[in-house]
Amino acid sequence: MANDLNDQDSSYEFWRSGKVTRRRLVGWGAGVLGATILAPAPWRAAFGQAKPYKIGTIQPLSGPGAVGGKTALIGVQMAADRINKSGGINGRPVELVVADDESKPDVGRRKAQKLVDDDKIDVQVGGFLSNICLACMPVWEEARIVNIISVCLDTTLTTSKCNRYSFRPSDYAPAQAVAFAPYLVNQMGKKWHIVFADYAWGQSTRDAYVAQIRKAGGEVVGATGIPLGTADMTPFLSKISGNFDGLLGVFATDGVTVGNQVYDLGLTRKYKWAGDGAIAESTNLPALGNKIEGFVGINRYLPVLEGPLDTPAHRKFLEEASVRLKKIDPTGPLPDRYVQSNYESMNALKLGMEKSGFRGREDTMKLIEALEGLEMKEGDDFPQGDKVLRKEDHQAFVREFIFEIRGGRHRIVETVAKEKTLFPPACKFPAA
Amino acid sequence: MKKRSHKTYWIGFCVVVALLAAAPLALPDFWRRFLTEILIWGLLAMSSDLLVGYTGMLSFGHSAFFGLGMYGAAAALLTVSPPNLWLAVGCGLVGAAGVALFAAYFSTRLRDIYFAITTLIFSQIFYVIIFTWTDVTGGENGLTFRRPPLSIPWIYATPFTNETLHWFVLAVVTASYLILRRITQSPFGMVLQSIRENENRTRAVGYPVERYKVVAVMLSGLFAGLAGVLYAIQNRFAAPDFVYFLVSGETVIFNVMGGIGTLIGPIVGAGFFLLLRETLSRFFTEYYLIPVGMMFIAMVIFMPQGLLGFARNWLNR
Repeated sequence: MANDLNDQDSSYEFWRSGKVTRRRLVGWGAGVLGATILAPAPWRAAFGQAKPYKIGTIQPLSGPGAVGGKTALIGVQMAADRINKSGGINGRPVELVVADDESKPDVGRRKAQKLVDDDKIDVQVGGFLSNICLACMPVWEEARIVNIISVCLDTTLTTSKCNRYSFRPSDYAPAQAVAFAPYLVNQMGKKWHIVFADYAWGQSTRDAYVAQIRKAGGEVVGATGIPLGTADMTPFLSKISGNFDGLLGVFATDGVTVGNQVYDLGLTRKYKWAGDGAIAESTNLPALGNKIEGFVGINRYLPVLEGPLDTPAHRKFLEEASVRLKKIDPTGPLPDRYVQSNYESMNALKLGMEKSGFRGREDTMKLIEALEGLEMKEGDDFPQGDKVLRKEDHQAFVREFIFEIRGGRHRIVETVAKEKTLFPPACKFPAA
Repeated sequence: MKKRSHKTYWIGFCVVVALLAAAPLALPDFWRRFLTEILIWGLLAMSSDLLVGYTGMLSFGHSAFFGLGMYGAAAALLTVSPPNLWLAVGCGLVGAAGVALFAAYFSTRLRDIYFAITTLIFSQIFYVIIFTWTDVTGGENGLTFRRPPLSIPWIYATPFTNETLHWFVLAVVTASYLILRRITQSPFGMVLQSIRENENRTRAVGYPVERYKVVAVMLSGLFAGLAGVLYAIQNRFAAPDFVYFLVSGETVIFNVMGGIGTLIGPIVGAGFFLLLRETLSRFFTEYYLIPVGMMFIAMVIFMPQGLLGFARNWLNR
C-alpha cells in the first residue's frame, strides 16, 4: 500500500511538476514536424519537381539477421545513389523507403503492408531471410507490385511458391550444385559426406547436391544435419567417420562455428573440406583464421581482383563498397555477396524500368514483361558478370566461382559459365 | 449505486465495440489491417491473463498454443479444397487444446518459477519439432495457404474483404472476452483467484487444485489457439517463429503494460505496445527498441498497475 502511494507520488511529481507542460510538448512536436517537412530530400536539388520512384526495401536491420541486413542495405543504397547521380530512371529520381523486418516474419509482413498502403511504393527490392521473403510474397502479389528478391536463397521462391510478381536476379542452391558437383567429383574425390544446417534451406541444398554428385558420377555416403544456431557442434561432428573422400558443408549463418569445429576435431586433416561459399564469406575470414586454409567453396561473388573479376567495373564497385562498409564497421570488411546482389538487383530493376517505360504501379505488367528474359551485361551496373533472368521461373543464372582459401584469401580455381549452371525450371505461375 | 456502475460498464462496452466496428470504414488500409492484428494479439494476451492474472501462474508456453492453433488451421486449409473456415477453426482449436492438455498435465504439478520454466521448455520443444520437421511443417519457411471464404455451412459463402475480416475478428474477440469474463466471475473463476491468493489454503478447503489448474491451462490454451487461427486466416501463413518463446514474452509484456487481471487490460497493452513499436520504428528504424525499452521501464516504475489500472486510479481520483 505504501509502495502504491509512493508510485502515485512519483508519477504525480513527474507529470505535474511543471517541467513537462502541454505547451512545451506541442511546441517541440511542431518544431520536429516542421523541420521534417522543410528539410529538402537530397534528390530534390538535382531533379527539380520530378516525382521520384518510390522503391521499398525490406531488410533485417535488427535481430539475428542484422549483420547481413545492414551490409545488404549498403548494396541497395549504393546503387540508388549511383542511379540518382547519373540522371535517375526515365528522368526521375529514386527514393528508397527502408523498412526493418526485425528478422521476424510477422513484422516483415506488416512492414510490407505498410510499404504498399502507407508509403505507396512502386516496386520492392530486398528480402534477406527466406522465411520473411515467403511471408511477404502474398502481399506483393495481392498489391500487384514487382518484388525483386535480392538475397533470399530458398529454392521454393522460384519453384513451388513462385509467382508472376517476384524475381530473383541472383543464384539459388540447385544452380550452385550443378556448377560445383563436377569439380567435387572429378578434382577432389568420388565419395562425399554432407554436413548441413538442419532447416529448410540446408535440407533443400543437401538434396540438390545429392542429386548432382550422383549425376556427376560420385556418391554421397552419408549426411549429418545440425540444428541451426547450435553453438557446440561436437556431438554431431564427432560421429562423422568412415571411408569417404570429402566432407561437404552446407551452412550459411553458422559458417564460423562449423569452420572452427570441423578443424578442431581433425576432420579437415582426415578428409577434403569443401562447401557453400557462405562458410568462408569475407566477413567470416578474420574469425576463422588459418583454420579455414585449404577450404574449397563456391560463391557467386568474391571480393578479389583476379581472373575474370579483375575488371575496372569490379575495382570501382569493390572500392566504393569497402568505403561504405567501413562507415558501419570500423574493421573495414570487404564486400560480400549480399552487398553485390542487392547492388545488382537494384540495377536489374533500373534496366527493366527503362526498357518498359515504367511510370508507376499501373505499369507493373509492362515491367514484368520487360524483366522476363532480361539480359544483363557485365559492367558498372553488373560487376559480378553477365546474367539472364529466365522467363519461365523468374530465376537468374549467373557465373559461379569455385575458390580455395590460401594465405587467408580467396583464390579463384575455376570459373563456371552461367550456361553451365542451368537447372530446369520447376515453376507454374498461379493465374493472375 | 452498484446497478448504475453496471449500466455504465455495459454502455461503455457497447460504445467501444461500436467504435471498433466502425473503425474500418474510416481508417486507411494499413491501419485497418493493423487494428485487426491488434485485436488478434489482444486475444492472445487476454488468454494468458486467465493464467497470469487470475490463477497466478506465469506462463511462457502461450507461443506453443498460439502456434499450434496456427498450424492446425494451416493443415486444414492446405489439405481440404476448397478451404473451409470452420474446419480451420476446429482443427486449430483441437491442435491448441491437445498441446495445452499435454503441457498442463506435466506443468501444473509445479508452482511459481518452476511452472514458468516448464511451460517455456514445452514451447521450445514444439518449436524445435516444427522447425526441423520440414516435410510436414515447412520448417523455417513455414506454410503459406489461401484464405478461406466467410461462410455459414451449406447456406452462404463469400470471400473475406478487409472489412468483413475485421468484423469477423472483432466478433470472435468480443465473444471470447464475454466468455472469459463469465468464467472469471463464475464459482470456477473464484477458485482460480483463490489459488492465486493462497494455493495451500484452497487445497486445505478441499478443492482439487491440480484439476482446476489443468482446466485453466486448457481454457487459456484454447483461446490462445483461437488467436493463432485468426492470425493464420488474416495473414495466410504459419511460421515457426510464432512458436518461439519470445512470443510468450511479448504476451507477458502486453499483460504488464495493459494491466494484469483485468482481461481488457492485456488488449489495451497489446494495442499500446504494437502502436508504439510501429510509430517509433518509422522514426528510429532499427534503433526504435531503445525508446520502446525505456518507455517499458518507465511504465513499470510509474504505472506498475498497467495502463488500465492507472486510468482507473486517475478516473477515481
